[in-house]
Amino acid sequence: MISEVVKKVVKDLDGMMGESELGEPFLSSHNYRTHPFNVEHFKPISFVKSDRKIAFVDGGNRELLAAPNFSVQLNRVYFNIFEGRRRIQNSSMPQAVEFFSVTFAVFKNNQIFFDTSIFPVDDKFSGLMPSESDLSFSSADRRLMVGSSRADISRVASIARRFAEWRFSRHVVENELERGDVLVMDGALRTAFVNESKYAGEAYKIAKKRGVIYSGLSKTSRLFTTTGLSLLGAVRKLAENSEVGPLWYYYPIADSLSPEHEAAFFIVKLHEQAQRVFRYEIYGEQAKDLTPGEINEVLCQFHVNSCDASFPGYPYGLIDADANARVRYDEVETYRVMLLSEVSKLGSWSKFSRHMQSEDAHSILNMLMG
Amino acid sequence: MATEVCGQIIAGLVGKILIREKSGQRIELGDLLVAEDKEGYLMLQVFDLIYGSQITQLAREMISGMNLEGMGAGLEFLEPQLRNYIIAEAQGVLRVTEKPHVPKVLPEFFSTVRHVEAKDLKFLTVPPNPVYLGKVRSGTKVIDVDVYLDGEEALRHHMLVPSTTGRGKSNLVKVMLWSILGQNKFGILVLDPHDEYYGRNSKGLKDHKDAKVNLLYYSVNPPSGANTLVISVRSIEPDHLNGIIRLTDAQEDGVRSYFQMFGRDWIENIARGTDVQGVARSTRVVLQRIFRTRFGIRVDDQGNLVCANRVFSESAGESTISDIVHSLEGGKTVVLDTSKLGDEGELLVGSIIANEILERYQGYKADGTLEEKPTVSVVIEEAPRVLGQDKLEKIGDNVYSTIAREGRKFKVGLIAITQITSAIPRDILTNLNTKIILGNEMSTERHSIIDSAAQDLSDNDRNIASLDKGEAIVTSIFTKFAVPIQIPKFEDYVASQATQVTMKEKVRFTG
Amino acid sequence: MILMQRFAHVSDIHLGANSDPAISRLELQAFNQAMDECLKENVDFILICGDLFHVSIPDLRVVDDAVRKLRQVADRGIPVYAIYGSHDFTPGGKSIVDIIESAGLIKRIVSGEIEADKLKLNFFVDPKTGAKIAGISGRKGGLDREYYEMLDRESLENEVGFRIFAFHASLDEFKPQYLSGMESIPISLLPKGFDYYAGGHIHGRIEGTLPSYNHVIFPGALFGSQTRDHEASGKGEKRGFHIVSFDQLVREVKFVPVRVCDFIFRDLSVDGKNVRQAQEWLEENLESLDVGNKVVMLRVRGELSGGKTSDIDFGRLIRDLAERGAISVYVNKHGLTSKEFAAIRAAGEDAQTIENRLLKENLGTVKVSESTLKGEDGLKLAVSLLNALRPPVKAGESKQNYAERMKEQGIEALGLKEVFS
Repeated sequence: MISEVVKKVVKDLDGMMGESELGEPFLSSHNYRTHPFNVEHFKPISFVKSDRKIAFVDGGNRELLAAPNFSVQLNRVYFNIFEGRRRIQNSSMPQAVEFFSVTFAVFKNNQIFFDTSIFPVDDKFSGLMPSESDLSFSSADRRLMVGSSRADISRVASIARRFAEWRFSRHVVENELERGDVLVMDGALRTAFVNESKYAGEAYKIAKKRGVIYSGLSKTSRLFTTTGLSLLGAVRKLAENSEVGPLWYYYPIADSLSPEHEAAFFIVKLHEQAQRVFRYEIYGEQAKDLTPGEINEVLCQFHVNSCDASFPGYPYGLIDADANARVRYDEVETYRVMLLSEVSKLGSWSKFSRHMQSEDAHSILNMLMG
Repeated sequence: MATEVCGQIIAGLVGKILIREKSGQRIELGDLLVAEDKEGYLMLQVFDLIYGSQITQLAREMISGMNLEGMGAGLEFLEPQLRNYIIAEAQGVLRVTEKPHVPKVLPEFFSTVRHVEAKDLKFLTVPPNPVYLGKVRSGTKVIDVDVYLDGEEALRHHMLVPSTTGRGKSNLVKVMLWSILGQNKFGILVLDPHDEYYGRNSKGLKDHKDAKVNLLYYSVNPPSGANTLVISVRSIEPDHLNGIIRLTDAQEDGVRSYFQMFGRDWIENIARGTDVQGVARSTRVVLQRIFRTRFGIRVDDQGNLVCANRVFSESAGESTISDIVHSLEGGKTVVLDTSKLGDEGELLVGSIIANEILERYQGYKADGTLEEKPTVSVVIEEAPRVLGQDKLEKIGDNVYSTIAREGRKFKVGLIAITQITSAIPRDILTNLNTKIILGNEMSTERHSIIDSAAQDLSDNDRNIASLDKGEAIVTSIFTKFAVPIQIPKFEDYVASQATQVTMKEKVRFTG
Repeated sequence: MILMQRFAHVSDIHLGANSDPAISRLELQAFNQAMDECLKENVDFILICGDLFHVSIPDLRVVDDAVRKLRQVADRGIPVYAIYGSHDFTPGGKSIVDIIESAGLIKRIVSGEIEADKLKLNFFVDPKTGAKIAGISGRKGGLDREYYEMLDRESLENEVGFRIFAFHASLDEFKPQYLSGMESIPISLLPKGFDYYAGGHIHGRIEGTLPSYNHVIFPGALFGSQTRDHEASGKGEKRGFHIVSFDQLVREVKFVPVRVCDFIFRDLSVDGKNVRQAQEWLEENLESLDVGNKVVMLRVRGELSGGKTSDIDFGRLIRDLAERGAISVYVNKHGLTSKEFAAIRAAGEDAQTIENRLLKENLGTVKVSESTLKGEDGLKLAVSLLNALRPPVKAGESKQNYAERMKEQGIEALGLKEVFS
C-alpha cells in the first residue's frame, strides 16, 4: 500500500535528521576556516536610530531563443534605495538597465567557446554594460561543465547578467550612496567565473573608497554541518535551544581564505515573526573594520526594512528588486515573436530553425504530456 | 491649474478598459474620466471597481489572519500605495475630436486619465426649447455644466422616469416643469395623485414668476385663484372608458346603446335606471353599479345626479375639458390634483382630456396645421396602471398606450413615471425615447431599463444600483451619451432662479 | 317668525343691442314683461347683475323706454339694485347707468377700497330685508379679474347675515361649452359661504352648486343680444329671470320665463353645391317653414363648389320670409365659404368668437417691444380697443362729437388717459 511506503519514507528521513548532534559548520576546508558552533556567537539586534541608506540590487534574465549553438536572452538589472522603510528617489542613475545578450558557440583554440555580445536596449545604458571581451568562456571550463558534459550555453549566457549586476552595483555605489550607506546584492559575494573577480574587484574598490559597505544576502544556502544538517537549520536549532531572543545575528561562522570569496559571513534573523534566517555577507576588508555597534546598526536598518507582512524577515528592498528585475513570461513571448519575425524577414528562418529544432524536443514532449 | 492625473490605463478591451487608480485619488463608480490624445480626448465612465494587488491572494489572507488574530505585531505592508490599489473598469462613452461621436478606438495604451472638467463638456450646449434636468455628475461630484433636453424633441418622443420610492422622481419632474413653465412653448398635463407639484403648502410650481399666466391648477378643493376640478358628466363618452375599466361584451353593447339613445346624457340615464330596449335589466344594473363604485356617480335621494368625489357634476364643468385642452394648446401647464380621486377616477379624467387632445391634434395633422401647435405631454405616475402588459392584455388598449405608440406623429407625448419598468411591454418601452434613470435596488427592474436604453448601459447595473437620491442617468436618442446628472433640490433650484420683483402699478377700484 | 322674503335676479338685458326696430321692440318688451312680473310678485328688491344696456351711452329712445318702466317700479317702492356689466360700463367717465342712478331709479351697490393691495368691499344692506349685497362690476376684456385676485375674501366670509354676492363675470366651472377658451375666472376667487351668488354675463341660464358655493345662478340673457342668443332661443333655450325666496337661507330659486316671441332656428348645409343649387335648395327647405310671427335664425354653412358666397341671393330669401310673416330674419353666413376664394377659415360661431381668434392668430405677426402689447395682455387690449371703437354714431350726434367720443374711449381703453390729459 502506498500509504505504508510513505510512512516508511518519512520515518527514515526523520531518523536521519537527528538534531541531537548539530556538529560543526562544514565548508570546503581549503577555502574556509570554520568556527565551532558557540552560543556566544549569537548577538541580539537591538534598535538604534540610523539614517544609513541601503541600496538593493538584483538582476533577472530569460532565454528568448535557444539552440545548442546560440542563446538569445533578455537581461535586466534593477536597484532601489531605502532608508528604513522609506524609499529614496534615485538621483542620476536609471532605475534599471536592460539589454539583449547573444551567446554564440565559436570554435577557437581547438575548443568550443561561448562568446557573448551585448545589445543595450537604450544607448544610455552602454556605460553600465559588461565588456564583451570578458564574456568569452570555454565550454570545457570545469566551473561551467556539468559532470563531464560540455557547459550548457544557456547557463553561460546568464553570466552576462551576473557581470552586469557587479558593474551596475559599482555605479550605484559611486553615484547614489554616501559614506556609511550599504549596498546589498541578491546572492553571495563569491565569484565563480573567469573575469568575474575583475568586476567584483572594481565594485569593492569603489565601495571602500567611498566608505559604502558592500554586501550580499542569499535567499538560499546549500551549506551543511558535519552531521549532515543544513547549516541554517542547525543555527536556528541552536538559537531555539539557547533562548537568544527573537531578533539576532550569528557571527562568525567561518573565515574565507579564498580570493574568490572575500566576505565575512553572518546568519541573520531579521524580524521577530520571521520564519526564515538568511546568510548575509559583508566584503571582508570592510567587515573587519566594523565595530559590533556598526554591525548592529546596519542589521537594525535591515530589520526595519524587513517588516513587510508579505515576507516577514526578508528585506522589502529585495522583494521589490526581485519583482522589478524579473523578466516575465509574457515579456519573453513578445520579444520572441519580434525576434522570429525579424528572422523571417531576413529570410533566415530555415537556417535558424535547423539549429533550434535540435533543442526544442523537450518542449514538444511537455506539450504532448501536458 | 491642470487637473491632476487620477489613473493610468493598463489593460482591457473596448467594453472594459482597466485603469489603475493613482493612490489617494478615489475614483468612484460612475466617474467620468478623460484620456487625452493628439486629436482630442476620450471620455470614459467607470462602471466597476475591483481591488488589485501585487501580493498573492493566499499571502493576503494569511496576513489578514495574522492581523485579526493579533499575531501581526510589527508587520505592515510597505509601500502599500504601490502594491495594493484599485482597478477601475471603465467604458468609453464619447470620443471628442471636432465632433463628438461614439468611440470606436481604444485609448493609447498606458495613457493617463484625469477627472472630467467643465471644459471637457463644452459640447453640451443649451438646445432650443431647453428643459432643464440638472448638472453633470461624475461619481458623486457635481460638475458645473448644465444638462438640458430639447423639449420639442424629448417631449414629443416620450419620456420614462423609472425609479423606486424616495429617489427623487417628483423632485425631478418639478424641476423639469419649472423650466418648461417659463417658456410657454409646451402644453403639459400633470395628473398629480399626491398633490405635490402645485405647492399648496410648500414651494411648488405656483411660485414661478410666470405661474399666473402659464400655470393652471385644478383641484376638488382649490385654493383661491385655482380652478375647481369639476367635469360635466356629459363630457364622458364611451371611448373614454377604454382601457380604464373592463367591460364584458354585453356591457359594452349596453353602453353604446345608451349613448346612441341619449347622447351626452347616457350616463345620467344609466344612473337613473332608464330602461333601453335591447339592454338587459341585469346589464343596466351592473353598469349602474360600475359607475357608482368605480367613479362615484349615482342618483341621490332627491333625484340629483351626484358624484362621491365631487369631480363629475350634472350642472357644472361643461367647459372644463375644453378649457384644459385650450390651455394645453396655448402652451400652458395644467396640474390636476387627483389626490382625492380613486385610481379609475384619475385615469378617466386623464383619459377624457388625452382623448380630446389627441383627436384635435390628429385633426390638425390632417389640416396641415400641426406644426404650428405646441407639443403636448401628459405626465402620468405609476404608469403600469395604464401601460402595464397585464393591464393592456386584460382590459385592452387605452389612450395612454395609444399615445405611447403613436403620439409622436401628432406631437402628443407621454412622461411616464414608474417603479416597475418590467411591467411595461417592450414595444412601448422602446418608444419612450428618453429615460431619466433614478436609483433602483431591484435587479429585474434595472435590467429592464438597461435593455431598453438608448445607449449601451449593459455594464451600468452597479452604477444604477448605487444611484443616490437626486442622482440620475439620462439616456436618450437625443443625447450623445448616457449623461450622469445631479438633479438639484427643487427648493434650491427655485431659489437660484429668483428674479427681481417688478413693481405693480397702483390699481384703482371703480365700481 | 321670519317672513319669507324675495328678490328678483335679472341680468344681461342689453337694451339697445338690436338695431332691427322689430327686434328692438321685442327686447324692450322682454324688459317690461320682466319688470311687470316683479311687480306682480311684489318682490322686495330687484338685483340687475350687469348689462342693463348694451352700451354705456345708448340711444336715448331706448333709455327713455327703460326709464319709464323703472319709474313704475320705483313708484311701487321696489328698489332696483345694479352692478355694471361689461357693456354698460365706461372706464373713467359716466355711463347711462350713473345717470339713471342719479335720478334715483336704480342704486349701484358696488363699493370698496383698496387697502394694502387688498380690495375691501363694503356690503350694501337692503333696508327692508336686511340682505347684504357685495359685488364686483364687470369690465371689458376680463379686466375685472384683477379685482377678484386682490379681493379680501376673508372679511366678506366672516360677515354674518344673509349675503348675496353679485358679479358680472364668466366662471370657469360654469361656463357653457361654447365659451370654452374665453376669458373667465375660477370660482375660488369669489368669497366662500355666501347664501346666493348672483351672476351675470353668461347668456345661458345656469343653476349650479359647488362645495362652499351654494346657489350659483346665471339667469341668462333676458332676450338676447347676439346671434348666438337668438339661435339658442330657436333651439329651445328659455329666457327669463329668477325670483329667490329666502329668510335666513335661500328657500327657493324659481325661474320665471319671459317669452315675447317665438324663435325658429335652422342649420342649413350647402356643402358641395354650386350657387344655383344652393339657392334652390335653400328656398326649398325654407318654403315649408311656419315663420309667422317668429324670429327666424338661419345658419348657412358649407363650402360652395362653385361661385361666390355673395352670389347667393340671401336678400330674396329674407324678403320671402318676411312676406310670410317672419318678425325678423337673421342669416349667419360665417361658416359659408366657396372654393373660389381662400377666405380665412374661422371656426367660431359668431362674430365675437371669430374676432378674438383672428386677433390672437395675427397678434404674433406684429413685432412690438412693449410687453403689454404681446400675448394675452395684448389680446385683451386689442379686444378692449375694438369694443371701445365699435359703437356706431348716435342719432343726432355730429361727426366731430362722434370722433371725440371715439378718441376718448380709445384712449381710455389703452390706459393712456393720464398721458393725454
